[in-house]
Formats: sequence, C-alpha cells, structure tokens
Amino acid sequence: MNILKAKSITLPNGKTVPVKRSKTPLIIVVLLICCYYSVQITGFNLQVLTKRIGQFWVILVDMVPPNWDYISKLWKPLFDTIKMSLLGSILGAVFALPLAYFASSNMSKNKTVVVATKFILSLLRTLPTLVAALIATFIFGIGTTAGTIAIFIFTIAYIGKLLYEQIENADLKAFEAMQSMGHSTVSAFRYAIIPQILPNYLSNAIFCFEGNVRYAAILGYVGAGGIGLMLNESLGWRNYANVGMILLLLAATVFIIETISEYIRKKLL
Amino acid sequence: MIKFQNVEKKYDNGFIALNNINLTIEQGEFVAVIGLSGAGKSTLLRCVNRMHDISSGSLFVNNVDVSKLKGKQIRKLRRGIGMIFQSFNLVNRISSFKNVLVSFVPDMPLWRKILGVYTKQQKIGALEALDRVNILDKAFIRVDQLSGGQQQRVALARTLAQNPSIILADEPVASLDPITAKQVMTDFQRINKELNMTIVINIHHVDLALEYATRVVGIRSGEIVYDGPATEVTNEILDHIYNGKLEEELKGN
Repeated sequence: MNILKAKSITLPNGKTVPVKRSKTPLIIVVLLICCYYSVQITGFNLQVLTKRIGQFWVILVDMVPPNWDYISKLWKPLFDTIKMSLLGSILGAVFALPLAYFASSNMSKNKTVVVATKFILSLLRTLPTLVAALIATFIFGIGTTAGTIAIFIFTIAYIGKLLYEQIENADLKAFEAMQSMGHSTVSAFRYAIIPQILPNYLSNAIFCFEGNVRYAAILGYVGAGGIGLMLNESLGWRNYANVGMILLLLAATVFIIETISEYIRKKLL
Repeated sequence: MIKFQNVEKKYDNGFIALNNINLTIEQGEFVAVIGLSGAGKSTLLRCVNRMHDISSGSLFVNNVDVSKLKGKQIRKLRRGIGMIFQSFNLVNRISSFKNVLVSFVPDMPLWRKILGVYTKQQKIGALEALDRVNILDKAFIRVDQLSGGQQQRVALARTLAQNPSIILADEPVASLDPITAKQVMTDFQRINKELNMTIVINIHHVDLALEYATRVVGIRSGEIVYDGPATEVTNEILDHIYNGKLEEELKGN
C-alpha cells in the first residue's frame, strides 16, 4: 500500500522532514464499499423509487388545501404534546444534574459509582423514545403520562451525558481553591463548577425541549397522547386534508418554539 | 503556629517529595519558601492544609495534629487557613463580589448553601474584604474582565473574608508583571502586619522574597537546606539552595 507510506520533503540545506500521508483516499474507498453492500443488503431499488415517487406528489397535493375546520379539534392535543415535552424536559434536565455529578470521574471519588452511573445513562440512551413510550403506556396506561415519562427518560439520558462530559472538562482551579477553604466536594461543585456549566446546561435543556416537541408529536402513535394520536387517525382514514392541517400546525409550533429557543440560547452563551 | 516534625512525603510512584522536614513557624511570621521547581515547595505548602497527606512524621497547625484529621475535621482545619494560587483560581464567569462571598459558604445552613442566599452581614464582609485590597470599585465586575493583578487581589480578598490565621500562597506573583507583583507583595506585607496573619509564600523571585519576607526557607530536593532571616541570605546561600544554578545564570547575564 503505497498511499500509507510516509514520504519526506528534503529542504535545500539537506534536512529531511517526514510528512504523514493523508488517509482520506483510503477512507473514501472504504465508505464506497460500505455503501455498495448496504444497498445490496437493504434491497434498495432505484426503479421502485422512480416508479412510485409520483404517489408522493399525489398525497402532497391532497394535503392542499388543508382542512381548516379541523383545527378546532387540534388545539387540545397540540397543547397536550407541548405540555408533555415541557414537563418531561424540565424534570429530565433537573434529574440529570445529580446523575451527571455521580457520573463525572473528577467529582465522584468512587470509581464503581462513576462506571455504574455512566452505564445507566448509556443504557437509557439506547432505549428509543418510542419504545420507552410504549412500555410506559403498559405501566401508566394510555395518555399523556406515558408520553411525559418517555420524554423524561430521553432527556435524562441526553442531558446527563452532555453534562457529565462538561463537568469532566471543567476547569478545576476554582474547585481546588474552594476545597482549600473548607468546602465539601458537593459544595465546591455547587459554587465552582455549576457557574461554569450553567449556560451550556440551560442551553442544552432548551435545545432538548425543542427536539422533544417533535418527538412528542409522534408518541401518539403508541398511545402516549398528544397530536400524534390525531395524525395516526387521519393517516389511517387517508384524510390527507386533515393530515395537511396537522402537519402545518406542527410546523408552525416547532418554528415558533425553535425561534424562541434560539433567541434564549444566544443570550445565554 | 505551624510545626513540622520529621515530616516525610512520598508520592504513590515512590518519589520522595519531602524528606525529614523540621520547621516551626510562629504566628504572624512572613516566610518565603524558595527553591527550584520540583524541589518540594508546593508539596510543603499543601501538607499544611491537608491538600496533601504526609507519609510519616507529624505536622501540627495551632496545636492540632493535622495528619490525624478526617472528613469534617479537615474542612474545619481548612476554614482557618487561606490559600492563594498562581493562577488565582477564581470562578471566571461571576463578579468579584460573588467570588468573595463564596468564602462564607461552608458555615452557612443548608438551604442558604443550596440557594446561594447570603446575609447582609456577609455582603458587607465581602465588600470590606475587597476594600482592604483596594478593589472595591471592581466589586460588581466579572472576574474575567479584570487584569491578572486585580484577579489576584480578588483572590486575596476571598481569603481575607475567610478570616484565617494562616495564609498559604503558592507562587502568587508568578503570572504577574514585575510592577503588579510588587503591589501584590505589598498587600501581603500589609495584611501580615495589620492582621498578624502568618504568611507562607512559595516564590521564584528571590529579590521579592528577600525584600518582603522576614524569614527565608530554602528547599532543595525535598530537604530544608537553609532557614534563617531574609537579611542574612547571601549569594553563597542562594547558590547552595539552587545547586549553583543561580550563579550560572548571573554569569550569563
């Protein structure tokens, strides 16, 4: 493999400097091979795509104009969705803080606690929100409680992971100073580390909430309440004008929340 | 009073940082510890407030055997000892005022600790501490907006608010320019005289050490090789402390 061999540049004064070869060509080749096999394995068929793509336009055209009368039935499920994501996000973000503390190797002295907490967090992260919602409906019954729990779990895992990485990368100088003046570890964490991580923490929590609104919209599919329930129903009836209305409303909501969240996050950082 | 008796400090990797240290520092002394980097100056300082544990011997601070303390007792010991660092070790994102207030936290009830609510008395105390080091006008400015010298003064105010009997300073002027370094050293001197606080300072600037401290302790490879008044330190003694390296540098200059 010649491309992996190091080459060297010789300066006019006779000094030679070894130059590392770029690995990019090799990586591109590997990616192309992976693409080829994934097409083979998944049975992706370009012919089906070109033949059936027209159907997509049919559905899209059916959605226009949306059924404006339907909107009166949508407000409650829409607010359910927002409530679900808001409550789940807030609770998740709050509970993520102590978990992140225990998962940070520079805060927790006990190694077992660190490993165990990190393991729990990654375990929660691997659990898709939809599956969590489904399980929650078995436990708490159909409705928004299940959705809130699912979003809560996702938020804990997501914020917790980001948070402990931040804590582990935090500057420990002030922390050391506080320990030297008689603060306990938790107290030094509260006064030296939290001021450092707070802007990012809040920003992440808001960003997570923003994403959670979108997640919450589909949780209705598994019976976890909210606007997804209506979406599922309308799609089932092939009532694309209603679907159009739901999607439009959802897009507007997400847009508004995104704009607000972006504004707040810009102020925070 | 700080009293080292045959103190040895051995790191986990087997390196002996302090060897057979015998040293008594009376209340109200201003001691400069000098020596090469890695000679054990920082370790010596950090044993006093139990940021490091000693391996053998005994170390008394105000007649308390430091090596026997545990958990809460260590924190109580540290309440009475202030520490100043080379890089100031302040919380950058908050104001000088809030940085100083932090020194009251360990004595507050839990709910105040959690919420960070300070009493009026504490607020006055923090402002007084800032005033003592002449940066009252910077009280509500974020620390990262201040110059190095000002930041070190905030750190000093934070320590003063703690009202310790001893201040340990680990290279407090190493990241400051010569003029600011002198100002900070003057602050230390004033505090030492006015408040009778013991000051133990690790310092690379020999000239500053001799000018401001009353007593000099020279450390070489973990052992005390000089201990005496600052006025009696001669070039031969410095040469002895620095393994002759200072002389080489002087010749070079």
